[in-house]
Amino acid sequence: MATTTATITLSSADIADNNISISNTATLTTAGTTTGITETTGLARKKVASSSLADLITVANTDVTAARSAKVFIHNTSTATDKYGLIGIGDSSGTPIYLGRLYGGDFMFFPWDANSGEDITLTMSDATETIIEYMVFFE
Amino acid sequence: MATTTATITLASSDILSNALSLSATKTLYKAGTTTGLDGIQYEKLEVPTGDVYDMIDATALGANKANKVYICNKATDPTYYIDVYIAALNIGRLYAGDWMFIPLEAAAATQDVGLDAIGGAQVVEFALFHEGKTLVAS
Repeated sequence: MATTTATITLSSADIADNNISISNTATLTTAGTTTGITETTGLARKKVASSSLADLITVANTDVTAARSAKVFIHNTSTATDKYGLIGIGDSSGTPIYLGRLYGGDFMFFPWDANSGEDITLTMSDATETIIEYMVFFE
Repeated sequence: MATTTATITLASSDILSNALSLSATKTLYKAGTTTGLDGIQYEKLEVPTGDVYDMIDATALGANKANKVYICNKATDPTYYIDVYIAALNIGRLYAGDWMFIPLEAAAATQDVGLDAIGGAQVVEFALFHEGKTLVAS
């Protein structure tokens, strides 16, 4: 087994009267166990220069076991804070459920059920060439 | 405006043949701007079993923005997990100790964030960083 950790820190000195400091570390384990996840896609980079809805990560092109404990990291590496990539889950030939917008520099980390047809989709706000990084941890 | 930063670090010394150490930091801005998000909802609650419970309601003022959601499952039994829903879609499982951080589109009133506790009731913490939400009149 491997030991992989994911740490998040959210902090602000002025979003409320008192400081906000949220920090957490998760060790990525296989479903229902304390055994570390051992498989990953590695860090991938995709250059996107289209505003059309398309798959970023396709279930069929990964070895992810559905309904387990897969985790996905996605990062919009652009510095343009007025442009975004809209991340969804579903079929890019249909209407995905949209999770949210990654503006330039934004990232997300979330569990992925990865059932058939639940690809991770990307729709850029315009056709400006943008590099999106992603990484999947799975069993 | 407020300044709120989010930092993620993914690390492992043995999932690859070389060490993994990936980090990213971002200031949380309102949609399309460099103005900081200035609203927050931060809660801790117990999710009972038996149904999908709405944790964050999608509201008109929160739709199509750059809002961010953090959720952490505080359970300690590794067999317990929370199914996380956006609208009617189960996007994935947060096992005990897991956390997630996503932008929230909330494009329609049906796109609430829902939680379904599997295995037993579980305590979660969540934070919504936002630029506005529609309040419900009493």
